[in-house]
Amino acid sequence: MKTEHNLAAISVRGLRKNYKGVPALDGVTFDVKRGELLAYLGPNGAGKTTTINILSGLLPRDSGDLAVCGVDVAKAPVRVKQLIGVVPEESNLYPELTSRGNLLYVGELYGLPRAKRALIADQILDQFCLSDKSNMPFRTLSRGMKRRLTIAAALVHSPEVLFLDEPTAGLDVQSARQLRAHVRNINQRGTTVLLTTHNLLEASELCTRILILIKGRIVAEGSASEIAERLDKAKRLAVKLSGDVDEAQLREHCPSVMGARLEGDTFILDVIDTHSAIAEVVSFSEKRSLQIVHIRSATPSLEDTFVKILEEHDAGDGGPR
Amino acid sequence: MSQLHRALFISRKDIRSYYGKPPLITWALLFPAVLMLAIYVRNPENYLNSAPGIIAMTLLFGNTSMAAIVLTFEKRTGTLQRLLLAPVSSGTIILGKSLSAMLYGIATSLVLTLGLMLLLGMRLASPAPFILGLLLGGGIFSLLGLTAAALVREVFEAMTLMNFIRFPILFISGVFVPIESLPAWLKPIAFISPMTYVVELLRLGASGNSYFASPLIPALISLAFLAAAWKLTVFAFRRQAGQ
Ligand SMILES: Nc1ncnc2c1ncn2[C@@H]1O[C@H](COP(=O)(O)OP(=O)(O)OP(=O)(O)O)[C@@H](O)[C@H]1O
Ligand SMILES: [Mg+2]
Repeated sequence: MKTEHNLAAISVRGLRKNYKGVPALDGVTFDVKRGELLAYLGPNGAGKTTTINILSGLLPRDSGDLAVCGVDVAKAPVRVKQLIGVVPEESNLYPELTSRGNLLYVGELYGLPRAKRALIADQILDQFCLSDKSNMPFRTLSRGMKRRLTIAAALVHSPEVLFLDEPTAGLDVQSARQLRAHVRNINQRGTTVLLTTHNLLEASELCTRILILIKGRIVAEGSASEIAERLDKAKRLAVKLSGDVDEAQLREHCPSVMGARLEGDTFILDVIDTHSAIAEVVSFSEKRSLQIVHIRSATPSLEDTFVKILEEHDAGDGGPR
Repeated sequence: MSQLHRALFISRKDIRSYYGKPPLITWALLFPAVLMLAIYVRNPENYLNSAPGIIAMTLLFGNTSMAAIVLTFEKRTGTLQRLLLAPVSSGTIILGKSLSAMLYGIATSLVLTLGLMLLLGMRLASPAPFILGLLLGGGIFSLLGLTAAALVREVFEAMTLMNFIRFPILFISGVFVPIESLPAWLKPIAFISPMTYVVELLRLGASGNSYFASPLIPALISLAFLAAAWKLTVFAFRRQAGQ
């Protein structure tokens, strides 16, 4: 099922959504090119799932224009649903049906001819290394297998576009790695993928382009390295010194320290470069005969970084490129 | 592949998932069977007068309960989302879900009917209006069950909501007493209940004694109720899907 190739796989323009007056999406605009693997990165509550639910026709929007492969989501929801595969946050296949039974039923719902249904179900079970579980009810599978089968079920009708809502959430390191390999594979076979995550590493490892969504707004966009560069500026040290010293002195004597504040008896330093900052703090305390009780890296969590990016954005020097 | 095909697939999956469980059938039959037996023991000559009402009651409870279960249960487990994500219209989902519920209600009513015929010697004077009554009643009651389920989240909430409708309907629809014998103030109310026309169709089919001389009027009115119930269900379903 091929639609015109010059159209973006996903096009979102000025998307807004309020829940009972509280904005969840505040004018989101982006495009996903055909064949792209895009990370939609954001902290909890940013609006990632809301975006996917609106794009997949589960939720009405308040305003904005949406199209998948050039088909308007609001005008032709059933056609759009045939073009997309959706893997929701929760693995939600039928617990009482077997792995194979679930895939066959999905094939029925998506209108695949009978012979093709069986063929594809077996093929996909094999591809996702679930052949030995094909007659097990979904509810008896492990969490990782459930996740894999839920992704498999979204591929039965060979969708043009795949939405993955936090595919690796709750998986152990190895299962998550395997799953990412599957996702890469799916993308290499030509399926456009929009993947939500709050895991920066996952996004940069897997995706060519990253969108950062905070509080319903896209605040940064770029390749993994471009985003990483911005995040690199936001390194942090926690330092505890014995003796009398204040924030201003630290900033004055340590050029790599951009900001300092006291949290209890520990200084939290925003630094440009961790190594030079440590060296500066050490020489500063030697000069002043201070004891370093401890010094450790306190590189901000992703959420801190997001907030920082958001602040930059509000100040007007950030924002989508 | 047509939307009708997909509706049939939805029904088939529900039948496989939910109806294979023997207790469902047993429970749905136990209460009406005991009731029928009690009436027979007390009044062996005229028990047939009550049979259509009891069959209609079985239909009402079987359809509404099953419809509510297949919908609320899937809401709870999150699997309903799969249908909402699939390229099927809300009409297709409602048709699929109501067909499976309808089949269940009709099957239990038919088993009861067969039991009455084989064990107590009930006769079907004319099968056509009887079957028509089961089909139309099955459709209306399934859709009402789906509407109730669409409005709430939990199975027990759906049951509670439906009992607000089911018991009054039983009371006003000449289920236990023929319409002619209803008190004068209740009679006009009986005519606004879809159950009344279903029971009369079953009466026409079983004994041939009914308030209506021909099945035409109750059949047409039931059909109108079916159309109205369809509209109501689509409305309720779209409303919940949009939340
Ligand atoms: N049904 C709802 N009713 C009211 N508010 C909602 C509803 N669903 C989401 N929200 C709110 O909308 C905002 C965005 O939620 P959303 O689920 O889209 O975030 P998310 O980015 O997917 O977060 P997470 O990483 O936790 O999954 C949140 O503030 C959330 O509380
Ligand atoms: Mg989410």
